[in-house]
This record gives sequence, C-alpha cells and structure tokens, in this order.
Amino acid sequence: MSADTETRSVPEFGQVSRTAGVVFRYLLLAATLVGIVALGVLLVYVAMDAFQPFTADVEWHLTYLGVAVLPTLVAGAYLYWRDGPGLGVAFEFFGLGSVSLLFAGGIAALFIDLVPSLVWLGYLIALVIPILLSVALTRIDHVVPFWVRFLAVGVVGVLSLIGVPGYYHSVPEMVVQIPIVPMDWVILAVTLGGPMAAVVGSLFAGRRGRSAGLRAGAVALVGVLAVAFAGPFLGIDRVPAAVIGAIALVPTGGHVAWTLLERPRERAGLLVPVLLVAGIAAGTVVVSAAGFAGPDTWLTWEFVTGLGSGIGDPQAAGIYPAIVGTMMLMIVVALISFPVGVGAAIYLEEYAGESRLKRIIDVNISNLAGVPSVVYGLLGLGAFVRYGGLTPGTVIVGGATLTLLILPIVIISAREAIRSVPDTQRQASYGMGATRWQTVRKVVLPRAFPGILTGTILALSRAIGETAPLIVIGAPQIFDLPTTLSDRVGAMPLQLYVWATTFADPAFYTTVLAAGVVVLLVVMLAMNSVAIVLRNRYQTRGES
Amino acid sequence: MTQSDMTDDGRIETTTEGDSGSADPEHGDEELIETGVTAGLEENESQTFDGRTIIESRGLDVYYGDEQALQDVSFEIPEKSVTAIIGPSGCGKSTFLRCINRMNDLIQNARVEGELRFEGKNVYDDDVDPVALRRRIGMVFQEPNPFPKSIYDNVAYGLRLQDRTDDLDEKVEQALKNAALWDEVKDRLDESGLELSGGQQQRLCIARAIAVDPDVILMDEPASALDPVATSQIEDLIQDIAEEYTVVIVTHNMQQAARISDRTAVFLTGGELVEYDDTDKVFQNPESQRVEDYITGKFG
Repeated sequence: MSADTETRSVPEFGQVSRTAGVVFRYLLLAATLVGIVALGVLLVYVAMDAFQPFTADVEWHLTYLGVAVLPTLVAGAYLYWRDGPGLGVAFEFFGLGSVSLLFAGGIAALFIDLVPSLVWLGYLIALVIPILLSVALTRIDHVVPFWVRFLAVGVVGVLSLIGVPGYYHSVPEMVVQIPIVPMDWVILAVTLGGPMAAVVGSLFAGRRGRSAGLRAGAVALVGVLAVAFAGPFLGIDRVPAAVIGAIALVPTGGHVAWTLLERPRERAGLLVPVLLVAGIAAGTVVVSAAGFAGPDTWLTWEFVTGLGSGIGDPQAAGIYPAIVGTMMLMIVVALISFPVGVGAAIYLEEYAGESRLKRIIDVNISNLAGVPSVVYGLLGLGAFVRYGGLTPGTVIVGGATLTLLILPIVIISAREAIRSVPDTQRQASYGMGATRWQTVRKVVLPRAFPGILTGTILALSRAIGETAPLIVIGAPQIFDLPTTLSDRVGAMPLQLYVWATTFADPAFYTTVLAAGVVVLLVVMLAMNSVAIVLRNRYQTRGES
Repeated sequence: MTQSDMTDDGRIETTTEGDSGSADPEHGDEELIETGVTAGLEENESQTFDGRTIIESRGLDVYYGDEQALQDVSFEIPEKSVTAIIGPSGCGKSTFLRCINRMNDLIQNARVEGELRFEGKNVYDDDVDPVALRRRIGMVFQEPNPFPKSIYDNVAYGLRLQDRTDDLDEKVEQALKNAALWDEVKDRLDESGLELSGGQQQRLCIARAIAVDPDVILMDEPASALDPVATSQIEDLIQDIAEEYTVVIVTHNMQQAARISDRTAVFLTGGELVEYDDTDKVFQNPESQRVEDYITGKFG
C-alpha cells in the first residue's frame, strides 16, 4: 500500500495563466504613479524656482550637508534601525514645532497689524463676564428657573459686549479708557500664555498629581513672560515674541518635557531635532565666517512680510497683504460656517425625523457641495452686494461668500461625524431618562467633536484656495493690507492669479509666483496636518 | 369591554371589543383581567408574591410599518420579582420590553395600540412624558454600552441628568456596591468605563441604571454578549437586585430564565403571548403544546 503511494508519479496539474492579472496589477500601479509623479515633478519645479538652490556656492551646500543634514539623517537612520518609537518622537517634535510656529506667526501678524492688544483684552474680558455668570448660576443649584438664567446671561452678555450706545459703555470701551494699562506684550503673554499654561498644567496634573501640574503651568507662564521680555535681545519685538512663546514654545516645550518624564524609552528621539537645530546654527556660523554665498532665493523674509504688489518689478513684490487677507477671510468663514454648519448637521441628524422634506434637503446638500465655486461667487455678489448693499470685495462679503461655498461641505462632514457615534450610546442615554438635548450635549457632541473639527478644518482648507468667487465678488487685483472687516481684501490664491495673469510677464512666472505657491501650500499643509492629527487621535480612541 | 378566557390549549386569550386603547379604564375591567389571568395561578401555590401588580399590559398591539410585532398581548408583572420573557428570535419579546419604557418611540415607524399600565397609569396616555417615565424605569441593553467617560461619571450620569447631585459620591458608591462592582473598581473610578472587561462593563451599566433608584429595571438579553463566568455573575446580581427592584428580563437562553426568574412569559412567532405563569409551571408543565415544543427544543 505504502510502496504503491511512493512509486506513484507526481500528477500533472498544469498551469493556470496569470498574465491578465499581472498586466492589470501593473496598469493599476501605473495609474497610481501617473498622478503622484506628475504632481511631484511640478512641486520640484516650483520649489526650484522659489528657492533657486543652484545660485548658491557649492561650499554653502556642502557645509550645511555636512554639519546639519548628514548628522540628522545618520541619527534618524540609527533610531530607525534601533528603536522605532524614538523616531516617532522626532517627527512629533518637528511637526508640532513647525506647525505651531507657523500658527504663532499668523497670530502675531494679527496682533501687530490688526487688533491692538488692549482691544483684544477688552473683548476677552467682555466675553468672560457672561460665561462666568452662567457657570456661577449653574453652580448655585437650580433654584432659578432656566429661562431666568438664560435671560440674565443674555442681557449681561449684550451689555458687556455691546453696551447701550449713549448711556452705558461696553466693557471693551471701558477697558480702552483705563489710564494705566499693562504693556502690550504682558497682555498677550498672559492672555495667550495663561490658557496654554493651564492646558499643559492640567495634562501634568492628570498624570503626576496636582502640585506637579501647578508647577508645570507656572513654569510655562513664566517661560512665556521671559521669552517675551528677552525677545528684543534676539532681534524679535516683544509682541511677536510673546505670541510665539505662548502658541509655539509652550506646546513644543511641554511635549519635550512630557517625553523626557513620561516616555523614557523614546527620549533618544529628541536627539534628532537637537542635532538639526544645532547643525543649522553651526552651519550658519561657518558659512558667514567663510563668506560662502547662499542661494538667491525668492522666498525671503522680505517677500513674506513685503507690502508691495510688485507692478513691473518682482523684486518689490510681497505677499504679506495676501496672507493677512486670507487669515481675515478664514476667521470670518470659520466664525460663520462652524455654528451654522454644525447646527444644521445636528438638527438633520438628531432632530429631523424621516420625511420627504428631509430627503429633499439631503439630496440638495450633496448637490450643493459640488456646485462650481464661480456660481457661489455670483450668489455672493447678488445676495450681499446687489441686495445687501455691501461694498464689493470687502472682507465681510468675501468671507460670507466663501462661507456659502463650504457650508455644504461642513454640514456633510459634521453629519458624518455625528452619525459615527454608535446608536447604542444614544439608546443608553435615552434609556436613562435623558432628554434629546441632554443626549446631544452629553453623549453625541463630545464624541463627534473631533470629527466635526476635522471636517471643518478640511473645508476651510478648501476655501483658502478659492480664487474664482473672490474675483466675482469684486476683490481688487492690487490691494493693500486690510485692517477692518469692511476693507477691500485680496487673498493668497488671488495674488497668485494676479501675478500670473494681470502682470503677465516672464519675470513673475519663475520668481515670486513660485515663492507664493510655496507659501500657500505650506499654509494649507499646516491646516491639514492639524486635521489629520485630530482624525488619527480620534480613530485610535474610537477603537479602544 | 374586555374579557379574558382560557382556550383549550391553555392560552390566555383576551378578546377586546371596541378600541381598548382609548377605552376609559374602569375598575371593573381590571378585576376581570386579574381574575382571568391569575385563574391559572391559584392552583399552583408553590410561589408566593406580594401580588401587587406594577406593570400591566392590556391588548397591546405593536406595528412596525405594516408589520405586526405584537399581537394582543395581555399580562401583569408583579413588583419586586424577576419576570423573564422568552421566545424565539423575532417573536417580539424585545419589542414588548421597549414598550414598557417607551423606547419604541425612538423608532420612526413604530405604532402602539392597546394599553400598557405602569402603576395603574397607561404610559401611552397623552399626558405621560416618556422622559419622566424612563427615569423610573431603567434599562440595560444587550451590548454593554458604557459611555466613554470615567467609571464615576458613568454611574453619576443619570443622577446628574436629574440634578440629584447631593451626596453624589455616596450614591455612586452605593450603586456600584449594589451592582457588585465596587470592590473591583473602587481604586480606579477615574478610569474610562471602556477599559473594564465585558462583564464588568455590563455590571457598570446595571450600576448606572440602579443609581437613580428606579422602580423597574428592564434587561434586554443582558448576558448574551458575555462569557459563562460573567454571565453567572450577572445572574446572581439580577436575583440580588430583585429584592429591591422589579426586574423584567428578555432572554433567549431558557436555562437562564429557569434559573433566575419567578415568572416566565413565553412569546412565540408572530408576537403573541402564548403562556405566562410561574417559571416552574411553565418549564415543567406547560399548558400549551407549542410552548412545550419550544421548551423541549422541538422548534425555535
């Protein structure tokens, strides 16, 4: 029997052809690469034009390569082979540091050119008063009926923010009139650094006890004040130094401290950023001592902060008015689209029952998300300029028009986030005798909030790149720095469009235009990275 | 007018003339029903109850759209006892449970006819606030569904909803003790409820339900997602809390019903209540042939 099996010849199964499958696979790979490679090549071209690396001395490149790039790469590679998590810390540090620095720069620009810090302080106090009142009223038990509390908070809020013209000054007006006030940088260091320090402190308190948290918070706040005070010695004014300290250094420093204390295995990762920063500093010293010429780049500090439109002369062009315009537009868009869009999403998901009307709204919101932006521009022109009587091309008109554009996207993504809250959670809440409002506030919204925020940020980063609606609503092609909501405004994509068309001149194409593209892409990437980080955190938490 | 009758196969048949849903509740009716349903019980004296009825279903019909999920269900649930509802899938047992605290209101196309009385009051009357009702009738679901909050906040959830935050710490501790969970979690009340094991999560949900001190606790297959050890812990717990609360439990596990319940209602396909009696009687000597077939595993 067994001998029989052994002597049996291996049967011929034949071959099944896989040719079609292999061809299909490589076609798919090609399809994937076409887009990515094309985009990558384009970006390389743009970066070349913007930075002009070949205009630098070879020695300049070699110096930085040897002092900064190679050590960082070697350390990174070492970490990669030795322990994975350490490298993650390095990336976290780079990401957090650069993104928070970008945001700090933007916020500093707002405080330097648009909002006097005293006015900011006034509005902050005016806003805190009704909030404190509402918290206090809730604390002293529910003796007072809801509508009394609601009315009291509302009245105090209006009085404190707006006042009664002619009779009673609002809080911001009163604050501005105070004869002796702290210096600008102190105001900013405390109002921005305080909340940041509180966040860092509460993180540490949650892990290492109350006193550690208090100490961490105090260190952070004192650190911000010290950085702001020391700013001029490093060549930065105290106002931007305070903002950078609060928005960039406190989170980054807190992250470093947290890593050092709580994640001993991953400490080594901090070596990489240290090497890079030290390398760049050393490289700068060497380069200036030896007199190597750097690249003749177009993306300079003068370009980023320059005010000129650059008619006929790319050298004189600056993108600063466009950056500030974009920021003001985004603030208006965010302030309107977030409450309106999220409100609509909550209503449609949690309150509206199944009905024909809701189905019609559903379909139409999806369709509205796909309507070309120029149509929204015309809608804004008609609604706000023609019938609303507003001046064409102002911040408020532009912001309102862009809001219309992204509102459907905000609603759709917020609905998606709300729908992703498991129904068992709602059942549990209703089963406990919660009203719909209590369920939405205590169960649905806390869980959906990161998703809602992610969707809103991604929608904003769509609005940031829109040109057509701004042209249609009459945004000027040559514009100054906007300082109020009723100033005429330009934005970064509009500025790029103008450099590429109105000033149609080869002198612009490979120079400031490329530098402007880099600035716009960097701002977009910074916003998207916040959204991506939020989404990742949200997903990992959702799984646990 | 409502009449109750025993048919040949022992099924309690309630014939309703006129629209019982809007019929004025007369005392005479109640007595009629009581004698009708309890007629079978009095012969079987093995179990004793306080006898006070807390939940009473009368001619209850439930429809989901055009589909009828419950047909003319009438029975009474005594207080401070465990009443099990068993039956094959799709027989309407969960539907009945969700009628008691009006969770069916949340389902868009559900329609309820007939009466469901809680403490003598029809919960489907216009003047009944379902939210207020649910604060007196707690519910535990099939899947453990703690909130992604701390253990403490989970238990305190219902109390905070009702602004009953005096002595919150003691109430939370008491609820966790009653749910036999205190010893396991007393040192980590700040941790997320989701970090507990499945059985602990379900006991946390029970603690959450009893923290507000309801009259009735409804349980919808509370142990079906748990392993045998956790299941037996939950079963012990259910018998413990039945000393203070009325427990109505839906289960597809007949042994579980036999182990823990005082009375058992058997629903069969089509959403009809076929038999309702003391648990021992239902399992050892069912009146209905269909119930016997179901219990002995001939179908379902």
